[in-house]
Amino acid sequence: MVGSLLRDIHNIAKGMPDVSIMEVCGGHTNVIMRYGIRSLLPKNIKLISGPGCPVCVTSQKDIDSVVALALSGVPIATYGDMFRVPGSNMSLEDVKVNGTKIFEVLSTTDVLDLAKEHKDIVFFGIGFETTVPMTAYLLEKNICVYSTHKLMIPPMKALLKDEIKIDGFIDPGHVSTIIGYNVWDELNVPQAISGFSPKQIFESVYEILKMIKSGQKSVVNCYDSVVTCDGNIKANDLINKTMKVSDAEWRGIGVIPNSGLEPKDDECNAKIKYQEILKNVKSEKDNSACRCSEILKGLIEPKDCKLFGNVCTSSAPKGACMVSDEGTCSIAYRYS
Amino acid sequence: MRVHVQLLIGIRDFMVSFIKDDKISLSEGSGGEEMQNLITTFRDTFGGSGNWNNSDNDSATILIGDKYIFFTSDSFVVDPIFFNGRDIGHLAMCGTINDIAVMGAKPLGISVSFVIEEGFSKSDLDKIIKSIADVSKATNIPVVTGDTKVMECGKIDKIIINTSAVGISDTVLDESICDGDVIIVSGSIGDHGASLMAVRLDFDTNLKTDSKPIVDEVLKIKHLIKVAKDPTRGGIAAILNEMAEKDSVQLYIDESKIPVKREVLSLCDVLGISPYEMACEGRFVCVAKKDDAREVVNLLREFDVNADVIGSVRVGKGVVLKTKFGERILSNPRGRIIPRIC
Repeated sequence: MVGSLLRDIHNIAKGMPDVSIMEVCGGHTNVIMRYGIRSLLPKNIKLISGPGCPVCVTSQKDIDSVVALALSGVPIATYGDMFRVPGSNMSLEDVKVNGTKIFEVLSTTDVLDLAKEHKDIVFFGIGFETTVPMTAYLLEKNICVYSTHKLMIPPMKALLKDEIKIDGFIDPGHVSTIIGYNVWDELNVPQAISGFSPKQIFESVYEILKMIKSGQKSVVNCYDSVVTCDGNIKANDLINKTMKVSDAEWRGIGVIPNSGLEPKDDECNAKIKYQEILKNVKSEKDNSACRCSEILKGLIEPKDCKLFGNVCTSSAPKGACMVSDEGTCSIAYRYS
Repeated sequence: MRVHVQLLIGIRDFMVSFIKDDKISLSEGSGGEEMQNLITTFRDTFGGSGNWNNSDNDSATILIGDKYIFFTSDSFVVDPIFFNGRDIGHLAMCGTINDIAVMGAKPLGISVSFVIEEGFSKSDLDKIIKSIADVSKATNIPVVTGDTKVMECGKIDKIIINTSAVGISDTVLDESICDGDVIIVSGSIGDHGASLMAVRLDFDTNLKTDSKPIVDEVLKIKHLIKVAKDPTRGGIAAILNEMAEKDSVQLYIDESKIPVKREVLSLCDVLGISPYEMACEGRFVCVAKKDDAREVVNLLREFDVNADVIGSVRVGKGVVLKTKFGERILSNPRGRIIPRIC
C-alpha cells in the first residue's frame, strides 16, 4: 500500500518544479524523521518543519514570568514538558528543586485535585487548540490560569507572507479534531490534514501534489477517522465561553496579532491577578547564537545552527526547539 | 500589598542568584545521560574499588580463590506502589535478583531494608512483605538480613525499599561482543513501563507488568551466551547503547523483529513516547555467537514464546534500527519520560 503510494508520488512529481510542503505539527515532524520519510520522496519535493511545537514557541518572557510567580510563592501546575524550557536565567526545573510549589500534572483534572490543598494554584496553560479545551474546563471551575495558549492558523498566515516559499501545508491532525477542517480554507493554499502514520503522511503529500498540479487550493481530509467538518462543537463552545482571542508573543517570531487565547474573566487571569509581580520581570534577549527563530519558520534546518549538537543537546538544551520531544532540533538530534 | 510584593521580588532575586545549577533534578535519576554523568561523579570521588571489578555491569564482582563473588544493591520507589497484581515488594526482589542473574549467577541471599512513612497502612505493608516472601520462596533465595526505619509523615513518599544481594559462580557472564554475533531478547518489551503508565493515567488496559525473576532463564542458556543485560530504566534503548559503547561495536536491530505487544505500542503512540525506552522488569537482552543463536532462542521459548533474535553486531558504533522504510539511530534515552502535551 505504502509502496504504491510512493510510486504515485514519484510519478506525479516528475516534471514538477521544486515544491516545498510545510508540516506544522511536531508530531508529524517526529513521524517524518522516525521513518526517514524525507529520503524516500522525490528530490524536487521538500518537506520543511514549521512552528508546530507549543513548547518551542513559548516566549522566554512567559517562562520568566511563571518562574517569577513560583519564586514569589504562588503554586504552579503545568505539564512536564514545560519544566526544562530555558527562561532568561532559569527554567521551572531550576526553581522546582528549591522548595517552590511547582507541580507536574498529566491532565487538568490533576489541577483540580491540587486546588483542594492549594486554593491559589495557577495553571500554566500551554498548547494549541488541542489542549485549550482542558484549560477552558479549568477556567469554568474558576481556576486561575497563566495562558500561553496559541492558535495555529495565524502564524501559518504570517508564514505565507514571509520570505519562505511554501506551496502547501500538512495540517495538524490533533488541532483539526478540535477546530474541524472547514476553517483551513481561509489559508487559500493546497493543504491536507494528516494523521500520524507514515501512510497518512504519504497520502497527504500525494493529495497536496495533486492539488498543486491542478491549480486547486483547498483542503483534503486524510484523517477522516477523527477529523470532522466542524470539529468538536462542545469543546469549542466551552472555549468561547471562557476564553477570548488576544495577541500573543511567539518565541523567535515575535508578536502575532490575534494568535493567542486569554481567560475572559480577569479574576482567573494570572497575568492580571499578579500584575504587580509580573511587571518587574525583565527578560533578556534570546541567546544570540541560537537560531531557533529561523528553524521555527522553516528557513534553516537544525544542522545549520552552530549550537546544534555541540553546546545544544537534548540533555543540555540551549534553544527551545531542543527542549521538547516534539521540537524540530530535538527530533533531528534523536534521529540523526 | 505594595511592601509585600517588593519583599517577594527581593526574595526572588536573592534566590535566582544562588540556586542555579546547585541542586539535583529528577532527570539525574532517570537512567539517561544525566544519570550517567552523576554516576561518573560518584566513581571519580569514591576512587578505586580495590580488587572488585565494577565496570558498568549490573553487579560488582571479585575473584576469591577460584570462585567469583557477585554483589549488587538497588533502591526502589514506584508510583503507585500496587499495580496490576504486583507491588513494590515484588519489584524490589526481582530487580536485585535479576541484576545478579544477568551476570550469570544466582543470589545466595538477599537483604531487604525499608524506609516507611509514618502513617503507612499496616495491611499494605503486610501485602508487600508477603510478595517479598513469595518471590523468596519461589526462587529459593532467602531474605537473610535487613533494616527498618520509619520517617515522619511527609518526609518521604509512602515507602522506599532497598535490596542487596550476594551471589557466587565459577564464571562471570561478561565476554566482549564482536562483529557477527547475534542479539536476542527474552520476551516482549515495555510491558512493565507501559502498564505502570496506564495505571498512572487511569487508562483501562489489559497490560500486566512483566516483573519476574529471570534466574532460571539466564542460567539455562548461560553456557551459550556472551553477555546479558536486563532493560530496566531506559528500556532496551539504554542497554543496547551501553553494549555498543562498551565493546565499540554497532548493534543493528531489525525493528520488525522486536517483540512489542500491540497494546504497548498503541499506548506509546498515544503518549508520544518510545516503547524502546519503557522499562522491563522480567526480560533480558543477550548476545550469542551466530551458530548458537537458534538454540538460545529455542531454550528461551520454553519460558516465553516471544523470545527472538532482534539483530546482530557489526563493525561501527551506536545502535541502528532498521525500520519499515529505512534506517535510523536508536539513541540513548535522555532524562525522564514525559508524555507529549498534544
